[in-house]
Amino acid sequence: MTVTIQVLFFASAREAAGDVSSTSMELAEEEATTDGLRKKLAQLYPGLASMVEDEDNLTLALNEEYVTSGEVLPLKNGDTVALIPPISGG
Amino acid sequence: FFIKVSEDLPSLQDCSDFVNDPSCGAISTFVGTTRDNFQGKRVTKLSYEGYVPMAEKELKKLCDEACEKYKVHKIAAVHILGDCFVGNASVILACSSPHRRDALHCVEFLIDTLKARVP
Repeated sequence: MTVTIQVLFFASAREAAGDVSSTSMELAEEEATTDGLRKKLAQLYPGLASMVEDEDNLTLALNEEYVTSGEVLPLKNGDTVALIPPISGG
Repeated sequence: FFIKVSEDLPSLQDCSDFVNDPSCGAISTFVGTTRDNFQGKRVTKLSYEGYVPMAEKELKKLCDEACEKYKVHKIAAVHILGDCFVGNASVILACSSPHRRDALHCVEFLIDTLKARVP
């Protein structure tokens, strides 16, 4: 059983991934968590690896809601995960 | 609430007019502008990108929280997308309250929290 999600890359995350701004990803059932996703992204995008494995360096948003540090959430079909580097609005 | 994240930033006047309310005696505003230096280097412009749907969602949550903390009636929270040259406004926050203390503190809360949370 696999889960298909949409991943959005913002700012330095996009640059680190080689200028990919969004992609569709298939995850195996056992990988289908926010944590599993981080590991998979590190494998698929080596330039992104050090950033994505560090929760302080890259925050995730699942369906437009922040995933808090230490939280591990399951992913289901159709979910959108955004990779958000440290923000500096204003 | 008046919330907008776009390349076309509303003016300070637009924001102030929006929050203006007959029941309020105070309007407090904050304008963030692009500074010409950063860590000892010269800056000519900043370029903002955002996760727009989520940014607007977070701004709305921020406004809701602000209304719980402070006696404010209306809030305007707008942020630019794309290039913002030195001296130009990147973010404008405005709120109105019956008495000045709430409006003043609310604007401070809004900008501090926006910088930490709005993607």
